[in-house]
Amino acid sequence: MKSMFALIGAAAILAAGAAHAADKVTAQMKWVVQAQFAGYYVAKDKGFYKDEGLDVTIKPGGPDTSQAQALAGGGADVVVDWMPEALAAREKGVPMVNIAQPFKRSGLELTCRADSGIKTPADLKGRTLGVWFSGNEYPFLNWMNKLGLKTDGSQGGVKVLKQGYNVDPLIQKQADCISTMTYNEYWQVIDAGYKPEQLVVFKYEDQGVSMLEDGLYVMEGKLKDPAFVDKMARFVKASMKGWEYARAHPDEAVKIVLDNDTTGAQTEHHQTQMLGEITKLTEGSDGRLDKADYERTVKTLLTGGSDPVISKAPTGAYTTAVTDKALGK
Amino acid sequence: MTDRRLANLLPPLAFGLAVLMIWELGVRLFSVPAIILPPPSAIIARFATSIPTLAADFRQTIKGVLMGYAIGCASGVAIAILVDRSGFLKRGLLPLGNLVSALPIVGVAPIMVMWFGFDWQSKAAVVVVMTFFPMLVNTVAGLSSAGAMERDLMKTYAADYWQTLMALRLPSALPFLFNALKINTTLAMIGAIVAEFFGTPIVGMGFRISTEVGRLGIDMVWATILVAAVTGSLFYAMVAGVERRVTFWHASYRAEEAS
Repeated sequence: MKSMFALIGAAAILAAGAAHAADKVTAQMKWVVQAQFAGYYVAKDKGFYKDEGLDVTIKPGGPDTSQAQALAGGGADVVVDWMPEALAAREKGVPMVNIAQPFKRSGLELTCRADSGIKTPADLKGRTLGVWFSGNEYPFLNWMNKLGLKTDGSQGGVKVLKQGYNVDPLIQKQADCISTMTYNEYWQVIDAGYKPEQLVVFKYEDQGVSMLEDGLYVMEGKLKDPAFVDKMARFVKASMKGWEYARAHPDEAVKIVLDNDTTGAQTEHHQTQMLGEITKLTEGSDGRLDKADYERTVKTLLTGGSDPVISKAPTGAYTTAVTDKALGK
Repeated sequence: MTDRRLANLLPPLAFGLAVLMIWELGVRLFSVPAIILPPPSAIIARFATSIPTLAADFRQTIKGVLMGYAIGCASGVAIAILVDRSGFLKRGLLPLGNLVSALPIVGVAPIMVMWFGFDWQSKAAVVVVMTFFPMLVNTVAGLSSAGAMERDLMKTYAADYWQTLMALRLPSALPFLFNALKINTTLAMIGAIVAEFFGTPIVGMGFRISTEVGRLGIDMVWATILVAAVTGSLFYAMVAGVERRVTFWHASYRAEEAS
């Protein structure tokens, strides 16, 4: 009996001790370690998360990770994802909710070889285009619908290739155009020897079909817990501080990203270019989701025509509760 | 169907049905989210409504499977005969064949896509790489399986190399060849589907699996898996059926008949 009490007493003390330890957060990134997520790595290495009493584990993503599955399976508390994917996941039964939007602008673009003769989007008819799938095809499908170009291979449409996460189809001339991000694959094409004059680029922002990209998402059920909302608010506050720091100190931020890259695959040259372009996308956002941007993304997705990404306007897909707490109303 | 064949079929059927029922009940009881594991009823429903898509995917993938299988097996046999003729080639080519077969598909597939383009040709190329070595090794083993007495008999008939090959050594190698042909049916399916993860026009079983995973359409993934499993089993059964007819004389069949 005495030993029982001693055991319970010891357990209670341990539990009390644990309550004072930092709150654990697991954040799943959308891709491998790179400057696209500089804000989070900076916040971790500069101690911003620690200052907020958070013990954050940043998990890198990759070609085979699914953000919605990471949330649904419990592998992460918060994920970085693009809005089209998150809204589609919501319809499929995974209630993802946007809690913050660090990226104000979209970096998605279609890069074509100038020698293919394409000058305007109308010239895309009958061409072979490389498109990323695994959830990244929604902005493209939407744009093609807007242009009235069928993607199923029928006459008068476009031929679509499932592009891997590289720029080979353009370089090997297997496709006339490929999907690239302003901050990543475009520079891979340049590094492969192409000059900017040899390329024709269509930015989704300029075509009026851009959608919100990197945002922070959590499971709806968890937001009912005020302790979780508080934890997320602290996470968002520290992350936005990390983004500010990355914008102000790009060289140091690049170093931090490279230090976190255990694969050694990233180079300083490429990451510096990437951070420069990413800064163009994050500038102007304090983390709050702009309602107008959200409405525009939803509208673009709903007018998908024959193959809409989502079938009806989503409700409860975002919350301001976290950013209100983090940044003050 | 004989009584004994029916009796052999019942246990696996019953077991399979039991597994399906446990799956269905378990998923419903524990409220497992559909994107982690959908119930069999949802999979069958999705299968039924997606037959045109699945048929188009099947037609695309099977092109790579069959062409790769044919080229891989044929070249395996051809090189094996060459190796058999020359001891020097045997010592040189067999270890090289071993190396080629050990190349991981996920490394070979993107390279093949770069060389042969996005369509079924690159998938066939990956299948050739995968099926070549098993065929080579089995044929080489089979060619040396003819008995010494039978080979001496051919010598007494003054049969030259090619006559001995066609009349004695290849027929006696057939069980080994069919062994490899059966292994290669599975490898061909795997190779073609996995190769499609790395670049395809937007049709094909591998394409469907990888994109539906990204779209959280896991019931479609399972429907495609179902098609792949049935195709693979039928392919294997066809080759096994041909084997039964052609190598009826082999000891393994005689034992079956006797029991």
